[in-house]
Amino acid sequence: MTVMHYALFLGCKIPNHAPQYEISARRVLKALGVAVKDLPFNCCGYPLRDQYFEAFLLSAARNLALAEAKSLTMLTLCKCCLGSLKRAQSFLAESHSLRTMVNDELAREGLTYLGQGQVMHLQSVLYHQVGLERLADLVTRPFRNLGVATLYGCHALRPSRLTNFDNPYQPKIIDELLEVTGAASVAWEGRLRCCGAPLRNKNEALSLSIIGQRLQEFHDSGADILNVDCPHTLLQVQWAFERLEPAQSIKLLGGIALYPQLLGLAMGLRPSELALELNTPQPSQLVHFQAAPPAEATEAGADQDQARPIA
Amino acid sequence: MFFQLSLYAALLLCVLGLVYKARQWLVVSVSPSDKKYRPGPRAAAVGRALVRAIFSARMWRFAKALMLDGFLQRRSLRHSVLAWLSHVFIFTGFAGLLLLHALGQQLVAPLVADYYPTLNPWLLLRDLFGGMVLSGVVLVICRRLLVPGLRATTRLTDRFAIGILAVVLLSGFALLAVKTNSAASYERMVQEYGMLDAPQEALALRSLWARDYGVVFPAGQTSDKADVLALGQRLNQERCVQCHARPQSAFLSYGLARVLRPLSLACDRWDAAQALYYIHFLACFIGLALLPFTKFMHLITAPLLMAFNAAVDRQGMDPAGRAFLRGLELDACAHCGTCSVHCSVATAYRQVPNKNILPSEKLASLAALVRGGGDAAQLAKVRQGAYMCSDCDRCTMLCPVGINLRDLWAALKEDLADAGLGSPYQEAAAAAQHKAEPSRQQEVVPVRMGRFQSTLKLSAQVGNFSECYSCKTCTNACPLVFRTEWPAQELDLLPHQVMFCLALGMQEEAMGARMVWDCLTCYQCQEACPNLVQVTDIFYELRNMASRAARG
Repeated sequence: MTVMHYALFLGCKIPNHAPQYEISARRVLKALGVAVKDLPFNCCGYPLRDQYFEAFLLSAARNLALAEAKSLTMLTLCKCCLGSLKRAQSFLAESHSLRTMVNDELAREGLTYLGQGQVMHLQSVLYHQVGLERLADLVTRPFRNLGVATLYGCHALRPSRLTNFDNPYQPKIIDELLEVTGAASVAWEGRLRCCGAPLRNKNEALSLSIIGQRLQEFHDSGADILNVDCPHTLLQVQWAFERLEPAQSIKLLGGIALYPQLLGLAMGLRPSELALELNTPQPSQLVHFQAAPPAEATEAGADQDQARPIA
Repeated sequence: MFFQLSLYAALLLCVLGLVYKARQWLVVSVSPSDKKYRPGPRAAAVGRALVRAIFSARMWRFAKALMLDGFLQRRSLRHSVLAWLSHVFIFTGFAGLLLLHALGQQLVAPLVADYYPTLNPWLLLRDLFGGMVLSGVVLVICRRLLVPGLRATTRLTDRFAIGILAVVLLSGFALLAVKTNSAASYERMVQEYGMLDAPQEALALRSLWARDYGVVFPAGQTSDKADVLALGQRLNQERCVQCHARPQSAFLSYGLARVLRPLSLACDRWDAAQALYYIHFLACFIGLALLPFTKFMHLITAPLLMAFNAAVDRQGMDPAGRAFLRGLELDACAHCGTCSVHCSVATAYRQVPNKNILPSEKLASLAALVRGGGDAAQLAKVRQGAYMCSDCDRCTMLCPVGINLRDLWAALKEDLADAGLGSPYQEAAAAAQHKAEPSRQQEVVPVRMGRFQSTLKLSAQVGNFSECYSCKTCTNACPLVFRTEWPAQELDLLPHQVMFCLALGMQEEAMGARMVWDCLTCYQCQEACPNLVQVTDIFYELRNMASRAARG
């Protein structure tokens, strides 16, 4: 198998606020033989977009130009970074004057934005580049009878003509990725909806009520854990969880996990290697859903067939 | 006498400055909540924390931090070898000069028999340390000019520090070089130590020093006869070498002396050595006197803070002690610019020319704010910087001194809120809503056809609001609309109504709708639009336009 190379784009939230995402993603990518490079990236521009359009565009373009200079596809973990970078690409493709503005600034540090680079989310890379078959080969400890409610993430799904992540109405890639681990992706109300994070610093009450609604929908779905793959959603759930009444929050949410954490566990990695202990709320019951350790790997393989997806 | 007087004056000023600063750590309120804590409880809290640290295993961490982070600069080595090298050169070189050269009589003489600064290794070491400091200064200047992002952070305090170091070092080298060449200096030495009896002895020794050590004498005072030089050699062995090593040992000064040789007689005439001596020690004393108010202050505050960080658990610390630490942190910044070079939103500074976007500059503004406020324009700039921060925490993680910038930024936002300055987003929203208010009260709103199009030109694609045919699909797809009971009352306008407003040229009404400001940017409207109107992107643009208007 040829080694795949990407420029890992962590964004602002992951390194110091959601390090479990970086740790688990790096660990899983390493196990899959996907090589990632760290470039001196800056903010993707997303937080600047509300009020400083040009600064947003320049920030995004600088990152894109850095990756282009190394001829690497950018691999993002954050879905808002993905959306921001993709939107910036389209703005720059449409407007010659914006491209000139950006390139005049970038030229000062010897960079040029050509618009030939690609940006992909981790899950797109796993689905389209690594492939489900290869993932299935590496799953040694699949989950059994684990119902997962996944939140697709607005800025990856839409606007679909720009993000190219999946079908915005009937997406399937995360469901299929989950099924590879033996888990069942549960159909639920909140699947394609907003987590409220974009309003957190703008209208706190509204933001909290929106994530509260998602948590209620999650509870109603009967799923065992919530899967999110955007640091903003991860932190939003944590924030809401810490603000709700303890009794209520436990009732609403048993645990949360990122996809690379679930995949890593199914690949036989230890929870500590995937920084599972940093999640709030912790998905402590996950181990009970896992097949026996690799010593009985053959049996585990047989069990995988029984774990039927519900979605 | 003048030397002594100016030294004591400088020391006195330095001590007074330090006392003033230390008092500030006990009284300033970096965060509004710090106002509660009087100097007494602050000092007590810090004292308690330190005592607890000293009698615990943390003492070991304290010592380790001082060694690794303080002297060896481990934290700065991690992100830039050049920054580390320049700092180590300056710090080690200067410490060497201070201990062996400036305080030689006080520190080295009691320890070493027959101490003469003109002997080796002292002569050699002085040039070596001086060379280190000078290379460090040159490196710092190069980095400040060439490292992207560092140049923008260079301010008076950096120029002063570089300048004063350069003056001290260059005057020192020049002084030694001039004295090496100087016939006058030579004669003074011989007078004092030589004990020469006959004129031919004086001629012999002069001739030897001219030939071997490069002293420049007026014409006719030396000879190149072999027997004269042989006598000179003998006299040199007898009278000089016990106390004076070959001037060549001071390899840098000697090199400079060779360059200055043609000017030597003129230098003697103008007494250049004396002038350089004054420049040299006065520059040192100016640096010393101003230490508490320049970036040199970090010599004291940075190790103090590092030691505190290692020994004291901040989370569990008495808030009165935290108030003290915040005050100390304002003076601990070495203004090295590391935070600003690595800042996630530093790129935005190139589009929004406000230095307060850069953490090192924002910290300086915070310090000024805490000490005496600032005018409205300055506050507005600081606020913009504070709110453009993307909270990535890189600055906190990278600060070589260990300043908890995350904590200070939170304090800054509280200070601003206290001064009536909240989030610029909310302020822009409120201003836009205020402008739209009058027309909402009217039964019939006047339509201004076509005025909008000319101002919306950030991107060609998002001007397509006029393609809306009001099918309301966007509104039906909107989760905000879905969750409100009375959308018109709670959101002012529904998504399709915003598009309609724009098509009618009612720009202010559109910008003032809460729909625009509370939009989640989930893009469901835009995704659903059958005519590809970029509803969400248009909302983004309305926010931008209103924000620009609010900024003025």
